[in-house]
Amino acid sequence: MAKLYIDNDKYAEPNASVVVDAYHGAIHDLIRRKLESAGGDWASFVFDKSYDLITSKDFEAIEKKLLGTGHRFDWSAMISVRERPEAYKPATGLGDDIKNFSFEHPEAVVAPPDAQGREQRGVGDNVVKYPKNLVGIARYIRSSERVLELLTTGVPVETVAIIDDSGGTLTAPILEEFKGVICAGGTVRSHLGILTREYGIPCLMNAKVSGIKEGDRVEIECTANAKTAEAYQTGVEMTAKVWRLTK
Amino acid sequence: MGSNRITYAQLLETNNLIQMSADETYWLCVTRTVQESKLFPVPAYMMLSYMMSYYRYPSLLRKIESRMLAEEIGDRARNAGIKIQNPSMGWALPGFYLLGREWLITLGLIRPQDALQDLIYVMDFWKRFQLSWHRNNGHITNKEFGHRGQFLPERRVQIFHADMYDCSQGDELHEAAQNFMAAASQYGFLISCESRISLHNSGPYKLADDREMIVRDFMDLSESDFPWLDGVAANVPYNNLTVTMAVKDCHVYLVDDWGSFESKPAFTADKLTGVGLYTSDTLSDGYVPVAMGSREELTACFRSLTEKIKDANNKLWRRVAGWSRDQMIDAGAITYFSIIKDLAHVAGVYDVNDWMMVDERAERFRPLFNDEYSRDALVGLCIGTHTSHRLSEYTMMQHSNAPQRLYSLIPYSVLQGDDYTPSSGPIYPGASHLPAKVDRYNTTRGVIKLEEYNRLSREMRPPTVDPKYRYLCETWVKYHAGEPLADELYKLEQANSRLLKGKGSMLKRVDIEKLRASLR
Repeated sequence: MAKLYIDNDKYAEPNASVVVDAYHGAIHDLIRRKLESAGGDWASFVFDKSYDLITSKDFEAIEKKLLGTGHRFDWSAMISVRERPEAYKPATGLGDDIKNFSFEHPEAVVAPPDAQGREQRGVGDNVVKYPKNLVGIARYIRSSERVLELLTTGVPVETVAIIDDSGGTLTAPILEEFKGVICAGGTVRSHLGILTREYGIPCLMNAKVSGIKEGDRVEIECTANAKTAEAYQTGVEMTAKVWRLTK
Repeated sequence: MGSNRITYAQLLETNNLIQMSADETYWLCVTRTVQESKLFPVPAYMMLSYMMSYYRYPSLLRKIESRMLAEEIGDRARNAGIKIQNPSMGWALPGFYLLGREWLITLGLIRPQDALQDLIYVMDFWKRFQLSWHRNNGHITNKEFGHRGQFLPERRVQIFHADMYDCSQGDELHEAAQNFMAAASQYGFLISCESRISLHNSGPYKLADDREMIVRDFMDLSESDFPWLDGVAANVPYNNLTVTMAVKDCHVYLVDDWGSFESKPAFTADKLTGVGLYTSDTLSDGYVPVAMGSREELTACFRSLTEKIKDANNKLWRRVAGWSRDQMIDAGAITYFSIIKDLAHVAGVYDVNDWMMVDERAERFRPLFNDEYSRDALVGLCIGTHTSHRLSEYTMMQHSNAPQRLYSLIPYSVLQGDDYTPSSGPIYPGASHLPAKVDRYNTTRGVIKLEEYNRLSREMRPPTVDPKYRYLCETWVKYHAGEPLADELYKLEQANSRLLKGKGSMLKRVDIEKLRASLR
């Protein structure tokens, strides 16, 4: 079998990602075989013969082999799991099951109701400090179908959007209509953080929350200090609370 | 092996440029943000775009330089708010190419010494462009300048300073400008498939003890290069808009090579105390004022633009929501890969097949780019956890202190006979899952076809690069202000200025402040 330049790597170590390790191992084997079949001459292989010898079908076969072991991919974009549900882990909380869905972060800080009937259900990173806390109705916004529905029917007033997408595109046509945002990902510098700051919408990013259901009344502690760049870089905790209102 | 002999000095310099880019890539990726989207498969399209960049950039840059040198385009970059700034040139040109190279090394598909002449050429192009663009500050990147992005000559900064209108939170202009920037930022993210590359901040420029100016560009907003804007963006009247922003009681201490900034205290709307609005492109000969005749006109223009951009944003979102995964990946990968396409517009050699297609050599890899592998492979590329990144245990990388290097250096052993390959080859055919581009380009000379756009670009010779003025730099101005040639230079720039038209070269910052105060 032909040998690759990287086969003699003094400092190589396995990759922390199982999928990356599996893929790269299979690709190395593929290239060794193709180089061997091309006669082993690297100079004529690397930017010439390899273009025809290494094809998309070879890479499809590598994926098929991994899926054949029972592995199912994590998904990040809805379109991926929608087009190929057989290749990805199941998606929940995106359709009719939204009524019973809630984010359940294992590190969510929770506490019993206080004197005002506020039950803490988590914390997040405050994007901008405002003079008053925000109260509104929790609504999960996790799919383009939901966005399209709200774009058509209108975003109900008082909506505090519960989002797991720190990007700025999923909610692009309706973001301005939200009263507040609780985002389970990103940082205050993520696109969603940037946009809520520009629109003047109270927002917590990197929120670790639990037990907030569709339609719950929630309060966001947007009077807390905004999380700073230094706090991120030095690992200092600067969080704002999220409460579910029971009264 | 090519005919050009590679020298030790070339390799030393190229490796230095590679390492410089590697250090900053790590810092930017670790500190700036988390990139994710439920709408777009972002890591998948980013991985594909790196392949496209690796295979095509060398040929495309050579094509551009056959018409115009990198350093001349760098001179023009100081004169327009288009995609030959950051993040395109400061980071993405070397970054995308080197990230693609590193992934292929990790796969075993190339060696660090493969496509060596391509590599040396790409880094040299980048160096010459950057040094020219950064001519007024003398650095090669914002990073080298301590994360500062001052590019403009005094004569342009003075016009931005003089002509901006005061505003304060609660007044109509402030509200209109703030609403416009929110809508344009949102639209920019959508146009660019969740990336921030439609936006660019530069500066800060010191306006007074308590005020600084940030120059913010919104780019590729109208019907121009991206097929997905055909139709939906027809009513957006300008393809590029630049907002000059005076910020008070707020020091912008960091402007990075992605074109984003940090300030102390954090910039919030109440700190915005002045705005101006301009448009520009490769055909405009600099920044053209937009509705800058009066504050009422500017307020109305911001409002009108906001409505048009929101309309385009909603139409585009509906279009994107109906796309297949392959279409989303193509749009994102093309957005990334073509981040330097305006180099070709400046040179007048832009071709849709060059910039809006996925090269077949890159296309081969698409089946690998499921969400999970793409995410993990991308993170590994950006923070240095793939096998090719590993170094001796004694090594401590800048920022991480770990035994790693983000981009492999060229082995010097090629100088003593070890074999290498010169190039990844010419441009191969490409394809796209997206609809074909309509031949309609919104420019400052009107809506025109590409052939005319290229012709006008080739004919364009702004005074900035006219031999009479090209080397009249800031050092020259310091010792020649008030002389006829200096006044001529300043008056050329001042031709469209409301307050400075015909004022010449002797004004200082205090004079601009007095002029502004006299008109309040």
